[in-house]
Amino acid sequence: MTRRRVVITGLGIISAAGCGAGEVWQTVRNGRSGLRPLTLFSSPRYGHVPVGQVTADVDRLAGNVRGSRSDKLAWIAAREAVADAGGTLPADRQGVVIGATVGGMLGTEKFVADRLRNRRASFGVLRYHECGASANLIARQLGARGPVLTFSTACSSGAMAIGAGGELIANGEADAVLAGGCDSLCRLTLNGFGSLLLLDPQGCRPFDAARAGICLGEGAAVLVLEAEETAAARGARVLAMLSGWGASCDAFHATAPQADGSGALAAMRAALARAGLSPAEVSYVNAHGTATRDNDAMEGRALRELFDGTMPPVSSTKRCFGHTLGASGAVKAVVCVRALQDQALPPSAGLGEADREIGIEPVREYRPATVRHVLSNSFGFGGNNVALVFSQTAAATPATASGRIAIVGAGTSAGDFVAEVNPARRRRLSRLQQMTLAAAKRCLPSGVDPTRTCVAMGTALGALNEATAFVENLLTKNEAEPLPQRFTNSVHNALAAQVAIEFGLKKLNSTATCYEASFMAALWHATQELRAGTASAALVGAADESNAYATETEKRWGLPSMAEGAAVFCLATNPYPARPLAYLTSVRLGRDVEMPGGMDVVVSKGAPVVGFQTALDKIEAGCRRAAVFTVAADGQKALCVLEG
Amino acid sequence: MQALIEELKRKIVAAVNLQEVKPEEIKEDEPLFGAGLGLDSIDALELVVMLERDYGIVIQEQTVARAAFTSVRSLASFVSEKRKK
Repeated sequence: MTRRRVVITGLGIISAAGCGAGEVWQTVRNGRSGLRPLTLFSSPRYGHVPVGQVTADVDRLAGNVRGSRSDKLAWIAAREAVADAGGTLPADRQGVVIGATVGGMLGTEKFVADRLRNRRASFGVLRYHECGASANLIARQLGARGPVLTFSTACSSGAMAIGAGGELIANGEADAVLAGGCDSLCRLTLNGFGSLLLLDPQGCRPFDAARAGICLGEGAAVLVLEAEETAAARGARVLAMLSGWGASCDAFHATAPQADGSGALAAMRAALARAGLSPAEVSYVNAHGTATRDNDAMEGRALRELFDGTMPPVSSTKRCFGHTLGASGAVKAVVCVRALQDQALPPSAGLGEADREIGIEPVREYRPATVRHVLSNSFGFGGNNVALVFSQTAAATPATASGRIAIVGAGTSAGDFVAEVNPARRRRLSRLQQMTLAAAKRCLPSGVDPTRTCVAMGTALGALNEATAFVENLLTKNEAEPLPQRFTNSVHNALAAQVAIEFGLKKLNSTATCYEASFMAALWHATQELRAGTASAALVGAADESNAYATETEKRWGLPSMAEGAAVFCLATNPYPARPLAYLTSVRLGRDVEMPGGMDVVVSKGAPVVGFQTALDKIEAGCRRAAVFTVAADGQKALCVLEG
Repeated sequence: MQALIEELKRKIVAAVNLQEVKPEEIKEDEPLFGAGLGLDSIDALELVVMLERDYGIVIQEQTVARAAFTSVRSLASFVSEKRKK
């Protein structure tokens, strides 16, 4: 049996480089900068640093949809992608997978500012706070009935979403997936990257000897991914193929990349392996190329090692867009597909004198070339690395048979975590991170090989306490004396990344942020890696903590108050590193998921992660088959089945 | 200068929340980062904030920070030269 091939049939994008793939490609092929002065909000401290702000009227373009600026950007890109793919897609087996890092933070900042100044604050914006809102909006607008997922792995989020979308198609869970990323500019990220001394007031200059940091951007890009056969059946035009995706984790540091490039290299190799390609077959690399000193040096080292003396053309297009964070991997995907379509290479915008120490002479001028396979890198905080491969055409890859997935460990933690975290590490960890580490420690059996283990976490509110503390500080002090530690801990994937750092877990590191479905999405992602054989064990969990704003909002809206705590489970394929507690036979998400018959127990109340523990307890007590079946507020169902 | 050095040692320990290190244990000429005290890039940023809060010195470039944080002694001369409060 082979896996289905994934074709790309539509592109949608809105960015500082333009709206629509055609306009964007003009900017990119001319190597034009999309950077300009910030006008979206004022920043006393960083207002002098240019940004890739979208100048189009986002509210007008989005029409009558409600949501944050991020949501609207995402919807504009998704709508264009669907139109590009022919206007209509079958809704019943259609999924939506989006990567995002800030969600509705721009609106939340205004809410926090109003509260701090004792002005009447509108709670309405908080409905669009979470990163998952964008994917839900797209699904609602299109009537998509398949899985709706959101991943938040910092600057690799968009690439992670595209990889996950490819997985849904390849394994037959969806026939069409809207996959991409979005992020709007906001004070949190501008001041955050500023507090890390990573902004370049002269505009980002990737791979340049004098490069001094990034410039932030905003926007959204969405691809229509389809199964080759269903696309052919509806007569769709194929733009390119998504032939490979691969992820890895540095398991090294919260923000700094591992300097030897080994993490980045592992992701690139995994993506090429999934595509069935050798490095020599790569025609072009669209680098992550953020223009920080560390990223570009590290990426150069990884590319030199991968290509071993026969470096293909490389460029970074970050200056055209700014670093669009959660959208970046998707924005780059549009560039890669256009390079394949046009059989041409885009230049590395903003390059003066190439840094000799990096050892790459990036493409300087747009030029025609034979482009068969394109590699696109995205590296995020926490060493969350993702590489994608786009191809003119690619061979089908065989399905792997990994055997049964067992649950071999379970750990929970609520208030009782402090003693288990090493004090030297603890000084830098947030409360939620400590809680998560304690749960992970309790679940991890000693026989697990860390280098073959992936991590997938789900969180609804994530590091909201860190983000609000950072934002309150910048608003009260007029952006003086920022809190860099709070910022680095404010990214949603910091939990999963800290778990990886603690135990040296080097495979996929994923964070799902899709409301009540977050844990099930994490479970889904981990099982993909285990089934594909790219990992032999997985830590899968969920963590959330209480937050003053969230508690107030719950009261006001009459919502049940969210419990806090962390739970982590260890999954593994045969040979099992510890005695199996139960076997996981199915994980499914979407509106049309049905409850299978023959269950001894069905857990359908409460948080899915708690239900999972309950089902596990039932199996241990002698039950044969137990299911966790939940319906989220947006109507998406999630199911997993455990067997004894 | 010696008084400033001792003051900075106390502030460093507090700023990066070093729970197991006493200020007097930090050697003046020992590297703050890497092999010496073992601080990392995020600690450096916390020190940048401390300099802004306590001495009114605003740093926005990595190169400036790297040069200033070589050791406690180098930091003290940087502070005495640039301080605004």
